[in-house]
Amino acid sequence: MAKAELKTNQKTEIENSSSLKGTLASVFLLGAFIVVTWVSVYYLFVERF
Amino acid sequence: MANSTTAKVKVDPRDAKLSMAHFFVAFSALALGGLMGLLQTLVRSGKWELPWGIDYYQILTVHGVLMGLVLTTFFIMGFQYAAVSRTTGGHSNAARRTGWIGFWIMLVGTLMAATMVLLKEASVLYTFYAPLKAHWIFYLGLTFVIVGSWIDGAAQIMTYAKWRKNNPGQPSPLLSFMAVINTVMWIIATLGVAATVLFQLLPWSLGLVDTVDVLVSRTLFWYFGHPLVYFWLLPAYMCWYAIIPKIIGGKIFSDSLARLSFILFLLFSIPVGFHHQLTEPGIDPAWKFLQVILTFMVIIPSLMTAFSLFATFERYGRSKGATGLFGWFKVLPWGDARFTVPFIGMASFIPAGAGGIINASNQMDQVVHNTIWVTGHFHLTAATSVVLTFFGISYWLVPHLTGRKLTKAMNKLGIIQAWVWFIGMAFMSGAMHFQGLLGGPRRSAFSTYGGSKQAAEWIPYQIAQAVGGTILFIGIILVIIIFINLAFFAPKGEEEFPVAVAENLEEKAPMVFENWKLWLGIAAALILFAYTIPFIDIIQNAPPGSKGFQTWSKW
Ligand code: HEM
Ligand SMILES: [Cu+2]
Repeated sequence: MAKAELKTNQKTEIENSSSLKGTLASVFLLGAFIVVTWVSVYYLFVERF
Repeated sequence: MANSTTAKVKVDPRDAKLSMAHFFVAFSALALGGLMGLLQTLVRSGKWELPWGIDYYQILTVHGVLMGLVLTTFFIMGFQYAAVSRTTGGHSNAARRTGWIGFWIMLVGTLMAATMVLLKEASVLYTFYAPLKAHWIFYLGLTFVIVGSWIDGAAQIMTYAKWRKNNPGQPSPLLSFMAVINTVMWIIATLGVAATVLFQLLPWSLGLVDTVDVLVSRTLFWYFGHPLVYFWLLPAYMCWYAIIPKIIGGKIFSDSLARLSFILFLLFSIPVGFHHQLTEPGIDPAWKFLQVILTFMVIIPSLMTAFSLFATFERYGRSKGATGLFGWFKVLPWGDARFTVPFIGMASFIPAGAGGIINASNQMDQVVHNTIWVTGHFHLTAATSVVLTFFGISYWLVPHLTGRKLTKAMNKLGIIQAWVWFIGMAFMSGAMHFQGLLGGPRRSAFSTYGGSKQAAEWIPYQIAQAVGGTILFIGIILVIIIFINLAFFAPKGEEEFPVAVAENLEEKAPMVFENWKLWLGIAAALILFAYTIPFIDIIQNAPPGSKGFQTWSKW
């Protein structure tokens, strides 16, 4: 394990292992989902009341 | 001493006994309540009727009380009691005795209330709104449950306080801290429901007074009702923040972030009860608006939690060599029920939370209020996110407490159970959401509403709910099989009680988090700010009180 890591020991590797870009993307997707559902029901509200 | 180290990692067997006592009650409630749930969906499909003069609102009361109040309270108290024992080194004899006293008082109260419901003396649903009037024994039973839970919770607080005294200047173990936050929130919240039961409903049902102030009692109920749902949720968050990272082999993203989010829940869960009364007359809209704002504050710790969980998973995945934007998702231990079952719960919290934001948006509440959408909503929050996490917890905690092992077969069955539940709930809750948007009411047996065209549109959704309810009931049978296996039949052995550590051990949690005077002070100030003026207004401008009503058929 350790050896394999040593061989590919490049700068990008190190950065990658501490990267949280997947987390960033996930929370953005979560936020988008909340906005879309909210707006859909808001649309119903505007239509009906 | 070897003994003291093993005593630390294992819950003391004497504490284990009390936790298990709670779980027996909780899972019995689940079995019975689940059966009622199935029957409700069958009745609502219009294809089936209840036999022997049993009526819909009676079984709905049984379901709501067993699932919403009994299952949750007993499971949570049992779990938190064990978590405090595990992370502080065990309860003292005094704390243990306190816990047992609380447990028995809660159980007696539960039996009193249950008897009255079975005798058709209390078909008032689990919210027991006035002016529906139940037998006084029902209210007395509820009082016992509340007081019992205070005593039960005091055991956790005693042990936490003792730990703090023995470890001055040290932040308390994360799980104990979280358990105590939840217990304290519960105690503050139940003051409201205790007040309406003791000062309004009991004297009224005993005939000491003729009428009841409906709005006051509903306001006191919802002062309790919203923190109630966070009381259900926070133990699930305890598992997500502080246990799941250990199960997957990762670390807690940040111990301080976890503590801060729990404190924010303590502060913002209580002064928000008006968001359940948005359509109610008699409350000044300005104060409703204020409480809606406070409600939206809860989104902050919720999103902090989402962020922190994603981060834990991503960091673990990357440490395993995962690459790309979502590569980490694939390397999570999907074959481990202790992870996968609560994970399905977490995922369900995404639509559940989104629905909650819609409910709380003052005007939009008019679209969904008192429709079956709301029922769909809390079957995602409580009946999926929370209970699946509770199931996932019990798959290691029950064998840990009984000295047994979660076998491969049971692990597999646990994962199957969770998927069955998820599929059943997708049908049931999904159909409830859509039917609700079409105006279908909640808390309603089957009715064509006098041949109304709109009501006819709802029937296909009600049939979908019966399909979902049937699948869910299979899920109930599976989880009961697993529970009984783990409690009595699984092979003897040692099952781990997983407790995760934080990624950055140097970063000691700031001691200000344990400053109870500060947080209780802010909590009290927020509550007084949000409630004092409108509450005085409600009392001063009250309409005449109402006499009691019993709208259901008697035996
Ligand atoms: C087999 C699984 C389940 C089924 C089929 C089911 C079905 C239902 C249905 C059809 C209703 C509403 C009916 C109406 O409004 O007229 C309902 C209400 C309710 N359910 Fe469930 N449910 C299940 C599990 C759960 C669980 C696990 C919980 C809580 C942890 C729960 C908590 C509640 C509560 C609090 C109510 C509200 C009762 C009321 O409005 O008074 N349910 N359930
Ligand atoms: Cu609420």
